[in-house]
Amino acid sequence: AALSRRYVLCEVVSEDPRCRQCIEDRALGLAVRDAITRVHGDYGLACCSISFTVKYLNAYTGTVLLRCRKDSYRLLCSALPFVRFLESRGQRYPCFLNTLHVGGTIRTCQKFLIQYNRTQLLRLLQNCTNEEERQCIQKSLLSCSLTEEQSQIRDEEDDDGTE
Amino acid sequence: QNILTVCFLVGYSAVALNHVIDFKEKKQEIIKPVSPSELFPSLPIVQGTSKRIKVLTRLTLVVSDPSHCNLLRSTSANIRLYDIIAVFPKTEKLFHIACTTLDVDLVCINVTEKLPFYFRRPPVNMAIDRGIYFELLYTPAIKDSTMRRYTISNAISLMQICKGKVSENKVIKSPLELRGPYDVANLGLLFGLSEGEAKAAVSTNCRATMLHGETRKSACGVVYTVKKPRKVEEEETAVPACKKAKTQA
Repeated sequence: AALSRRYVLCEVVSEDPRCRQCIEDRALGLAVRDAITRVHGDYGLACCSISFTVKYLNAYTGTVLLRCRKDSYRLLCSALPFVRFLESRGQRYPCFLNTLHVGGTIRTCQKFLIQYNRTQLLRLLQNCTNEEERQCIQKSLLSCSLTEEQSQIRDEEDDDGTE
Repeated sequence: QNILTVCFLVGYSAVALNHVIDFKEKKQEIIKPVSPSELFPSLPIVQGTSKRIKVLTRLTLVVSDPSHCNLLRSTSANIRLYDIIAVFPKTEKLFHIACTTLDVDLVCINVTEKLPFYFRRPPVNMAIDRGIYFELLYTPAIKDSTMRRYTISNAISLMQICKGKVSENKVIKSPLELRGPYDVANLGLLFGLSEGEAKAAVSTNCRATMLHGETRKSACGVVYTVKKPRKVEEEETAVPACKKAKTQA
């Protein structure tokens, strides 16, 4: 296709639980653009901005899906380690972005995310102390599938929220 | 401990706890390394695999004088207990000595300042033949803009000389300075490595360094005996440390 894009899946890792609240598309977009400017300058920002959007956000799990042009995804990916904080509503929270997966379509990223969330749930399962929570997570794990992924991802997040 | 939890989360399969010895200060004794099992009663499982994370101990020697190297040659028992030994040479002569004769696994290069010496090809090639890798830290690049410029320019010149035999590392004081392995490989692209080399800088080269440390600890890397509680096993590790991965003891 002439208009090829790359989708970069990242996870926001932070020590402060309040940082998750300010995960919103504007704040994240600004942070990423700022990092690109610092590392690659005006040229880098211009290149990456052509088709740049934050496609999907998940404040519970801290998952972010960014979109950019295929020609400039290297500029974007190499600037992502330089994001140091997220700022919104006047509050600044230190954090970092962990790149999980780069894909050519949203679907591949979704598949990866489901797989990733599954392993995350497994990990949470190990740290479960409560039998009830354990049951809850096991149920979500067993009911993971691609077809109803939107609602499944939401179910998994609620479990993360109650953890 | 918090830092290590984040490491596990992000997907590192082996972490080394570093202990720095700076010889400029008063006489320093090499102390016994803190055993990882004292710090963590149970090591959590790495994200994405089913194995537990490995915590190694590492010693960094900051040498600014040839007499400091005697410590490495001595048969101090404590040195043998560290899994990885790294040396940080401050002068060109020491860099030469470190690459050619010293028994270390890593040579650290400070990329945040204008280097006091230039790299020359012969000692670098000798180090590579011996299986020693060069290390550069990338944490300063993340924090500060001038550091970033120095880091990138020094890193690029380092890469050109040592043909990519580099392992990228960090010294972190807070969990927020950590970056995931995928991101560190992307930083390698900034430093002038190709994609394959950048990935290797995070994975295979580090692994090779760990193996090099293992062979250094065992008897010349030929025979490595391990006594298991149930039975006695003998394993042979190949002499060049970068050959196949060792089978689990």
